[in-house]
Amino acid sequence: MMEMNKKISEAKIYIENNIVEKPEIGLILGSGLGVLGDRAENQKIIDYANIPNFPISTIEGHKGRFIFGEISGRKVAIMQGRFHYYEGYDMKETVFPIWVMRLLGIEKLIVTNAAGGINTDYKPGELMLIKDHINFMGKNPLIGPNLSSMGTRFPDMSNAYSSRLRDLIKSISYKLNIPIREGVYASMTGPAYETPAEIKMLRIMGADAVGMSTVPEVIAANHAGMEVAGISCITNMAAGVLDKPLSHEEVIKTADEVKDKFIKLVISIINEI
Amino acid sequence: MSYIDKINNAYEYINNILPCRPQIGVVLGTGLGTLADHIENKVIIEYNSVPDFPVSTVEGHAGRFIFGDMEGKKVLAMQGRFHYYEGYSMKEVTLPIRVMKKLGIGMLILSNACGGLNKAFSAGDIMIIKDHINLIGDNPLIGANLSEFGPRFPDMSQTYDHELIELCKKIASRLNIKVHEGIYTAVSGPNYETKAELNMLIVAGSDAVGMSTVPEAIVARHCGIKILGLSCITDMAIPDALVPLSHEEVVRVAEMAKPKFVSLVKEFIKEVNIHESL
Repeated sequence: MMEMNKKISEAKIYIENNIVEKPEIGLILGSGLGVLGDRAENQKIIDYANIPNFPISTIEGHKGRFIFGEISGRKVAIMQGRFHYYEGYDMKETVFPIWVMRLLGIEKLIVTNAAGGINTDYKPGELMLIKDHINFMGKNPLIGPNLSSMGTRFPDMSNAYSSRLRDLIKSISYKLNIPIREGVYASMTGPAYETPAEIKMLRIMGADAVGMSTVPEVIAANHAGMEVAGISCITNMAAGVLDKPLSHEEVIKTADEVKDKFIKLVISIINEI
Repeated sequence: MSYIDKINNAYEYINNILPCRPQIGVVLGTGLGTLADHIENKVIIEYNSVPDFPVSTVEGHAGRFIFGDMEGKKVLAMQGRFHYYEGYSMKEVTLPIRVMKKLGIGMLILSNACGGLNKAFSAGDIMIIKDHINLIGDNPLIGANLSEFGPRFPDMSQTYDHELIELCKKIASRLNIKVHEGIYTAVSGPNYETKAELNMLIVAGSDAVGMSTVPEAIVARHCGIKILGLSCITDMAIPDALVPLSHEEVVRVAEMAKPKFVSLVKEFIKEVNIHESL
């Protein structure tokens, strides 16, 4: 674990040497939602490829860089592009940026993603505040010697998505008249979309939406003592809900249609957090 | 050596041996390997002679390709498959599927021996797989996408082809073979499931549980192969009536079910219109 601490520290030092002010809020942008990064003022862009020990994002629609800057006067670190388990990274690589952000002094994290709607009341284009998650990836980023510099061996997950932030976000959504659902996000490994039978199972188990990210990051962030909020953009209905195949193009198209209200909401959240 | 190189090496070796292009692939599950006895003009290729192929270790699996004619079609059967529980990676488990795709196969019959979770089933019954649940905890497509085979995020909303299922049901009814339709859940094994796990699988919507097939189905769908999945219910895994289970018992029941499995698959291969379904 000394080795991991060293790796995190090297990445942190590199970033620190390339930015002016310390960020206070971290923001991870999901598939098709990266455009929010352009709204940051006084931008300082750092490509992941330039950061020591950082993995490299490969997926289409993910840019793979940090944008440091200001939104609503708050110092933010925005991840445009994230590392997915299905890309072949191990769980520790997937959450590496979380550890680096924590070391940079970030204590609040907003995680976003594109997700498939399991709850049949949901419709593509709606937003969902993540109330809780189910880790269905068969892996956990904290497996291995505990990174005690970050947190405890057995971290509590009973408030993984801060109830304080959820209340705040709900009141903001009401004020802005941007409706938001509240539900449980289940993460699967992917990259194949789920079968209808798998979606039915997830529904029985209490999931409202399904995706291939977020959960490892949120586990690591909670372990490291960060306060987390999660927002899913329901970009499509999950397999078997509608009688049509799923495609990544549809995900990107819906995310693009939703981005205006998504941006408005997230900017307001950053302002009031 | 890269994974693609391994696929290509295996493909080239087999392609040089085969007298012509296979049309239908068949993966034979535990105890069902004798279907291959009905293949004529056989060309046999042992897995251990194929460059970069993993080697099958489980009892009851012969570990070879058998190519030849069955009911007027060119068939490439796998007698023996690679299981995740043997210690192979998901990519090794599914390597033969990619090789078959390169050899020109557009339709695949995946068979297995599995436990029945649906109370309407009995040991010895055949279940047509309608859909699956992957509870292995791993996925063969994790890692860089092999875009020459398929897209990054393949759809799985119709993994098991509806038309092939309908044809198989029609043939079964004509041959007077009782078949069920149901959901197959794959777990890693190799231990059989606990009662608590079986209960959970039933709640999750499973009709049968086994340790294979799903990785192969995911990879076959990724590269656009049409799939028919057939499970031989070799034991009933109902939690409140569970008796200790042995591999010998599984093989014994599969043996009993073999004649109807063989006639069903043979008739299916005879009738399936590969040109229309490809």
